[in-house]
Amino acid sequence: MTPPPGRSLDRRSGRTSGRGAPVVAALACLAGVTALGIVLVLRRDGILGRGGNRPVGEFSYDVAALFEVDPALVLCEEAARFDTGLREPRGIAVSRAGIVAVVGDEALRAFDGTGASLAEASLAAAPRCVAEGSDGTFLVGFKGHVEVHTAGTWTRAAVWESLGEKAFLVSIAASPRWVYVADAGQRVVWRCEPSGKPAGTLGKKDDASGIPGFVLPSPHLDVAVAPDGLVRIANPGRHRIEAYAPEGHLELSWGKPTSAIEGFAGCCNPCNFALLPDGSFVTCEKGIPRVKIYDPRGAFVGVVAGAKEFAEGQLALAGDWRQGSGGGLDVAVDAAGRILVLDPIARVVKVFVRKRSARLDGRDATLDG
Amino acid sequence: MAEMQRSMGDGQPETGLSRRDILRGGVRGTLLAGLGYLAGILTMRGRKHEWVWQIDPYKCIACDGCAKNCVLEVSAVKCVHTYPMCGYCDLCTGFFDPQPNALNTGAENQLCPTGAIVREFIEDPYFAYHIEKDICIGCGKCVKGCTAFGNGSLHLQIEHDRCVDCNECRIAVRCPADAVVRVPSERPYLIKGKPPAT
Repeated sequence: MTPPPGRSLDRRSGRTSGRGAPVVAALACLAGVTALGIVLVLRRDGILGRGGNRPVGEFSYDVAALFEVDPALVLCEEAARFDTGLREPRGIAVSRAGIVAVVGDEALRAFDGTGASLAEASLAAAPRCVAEGSDGTFLVGFKGHVEVHTAGTWTRAAVWESLGEKAFLVSIAASPRWVYVADAGQRVVWRCEPSGKPAGTLGKKDDASGIPGFVLPSPHLDVAVAPDGLVRIANPGRHRIEAYAPEGHLELSWGKPTSAIEGFAGCCNPCNFALLPDGSFVTCEKGIPRVKIYDPRGAFVGVVAGAKEFAEGQLALAGDWRQGSGGGLDVAVDAAGRILVLDPIARVVKVFVRKRSARLDGRDATLDG
Repeated sequence: MAEMQRSMGDGQPETGLSRRDILRGGVRGTLLAGLGYLAGILTMRGRKHEWVWQIDPYKCIACDGCAKNCVLEVSAVKCVHTYPMCGYCDLCTGFFDPQPNALNTGAENQLCPTGAIVREFIEDPYFAYHIEKDICIGCGKCVKGCTAFGNGSLHLQIEHDRCVDCNECRIAVRCPADAVVRVPSERPYLIKGKPPAT
């Protein structure tokens, strides 16, 4: 006897049974569940706006997390700010008398400690840096030469000889004996007589003397004279600050590359720095724009201001992180220990003082504020 | 004589041109004008711009959309390196993860998800970085790292030996920065540091 289609023959009883029906039903259920799953996945993709089966954010690089700063590390707060009035401010310096000088465009602008404008001097070319000389004049650095401007009358007193066609001057510092001029173009710091005559260089690569040379992926090479008499020079490509004797011997260095808060991040930082009255360092970084304090031996102390305080960081957090190499905060410190940060994108100077609650190395930091 | 009189007195113009000559000249002129027009059309067609898609590196935000939205299985967008802009950094922020264990080529230290950047020692402390285009998927992680924290010498470009030049580029449609633009095929690349196509 032949069973009808879809039914099997029970050989003992000779009767047909419907064992195929559950299999068909199971298969139908499976197909239904699979179809339902496909529909759900497609709907989810549609809801999430995904273009297909490729995961969302698989290749995304979230840089925002790098801009975060632990609030407990922030030692300072903004006390004031003032507009520079310049389209492209480049450098800032504070004199011993408390005059704040900002250079940019083709001008030197002077402010008092509150940010009130004192004077403006027109310059013949675009300046790149400024510092106070040992005699109270202001030394303004241009691409290849330095000019001396008299405070008060704001007139040009002298023009130094060019330091060469390849010179690209980005920082100046003065001691009672020498003027140090940082030349990013030729990767040296010139040691000059107060008259402007070059007397030697610091930091030029010299394997025999153990001087590794400056590594400058971007034109930042800051210099300052510390209270201990050594010349501190930032070597941004090596992520450290080096100390040289005035004659050019490399004495010591500190700093390490890391995006963690205690080190220097990016390709080339610190881009600029200044010295507090006690010899501590205030460093500026670009890329992740942050200002920090290190003790005279280079140990991390705390944060002056994090990335969110500056235009470069605000742009980055808003999605426009393309200012990385275009930023470059500059910093100066006045006699009272106030930290003046020049934000070149916002074109303002921000004045930071220590928080009343902040303690530094066990002593009350409000003394500096 | 009668023949001569007919020829002189039957209304022929004094120029000596017959109607047939005028017609023949007209036909010749028309043909020549047609040939000239045809030649002009062909010349103009030869000179006509073809337009192709390209990424404006100054608008690009390296969002990773180029890796995911191209109709090709492996995107036609690749990383391009403008060497004159590069700092040849030891700590290359386009090559290394933000928190590398060490500055070496260990996979765990690299930012590129496919290992498409080759790091080559030049001299202390300088390293050159080269893009393996066959491996690069155009995700732009390196571009973001280089531009946000470095000199921005790495950037993305549509490679025209791979691009199928869709009439409506799927990357362009979805680009959040409107960075994918049409450029003339004679100057199909927008390389950083070089003048833009005109």
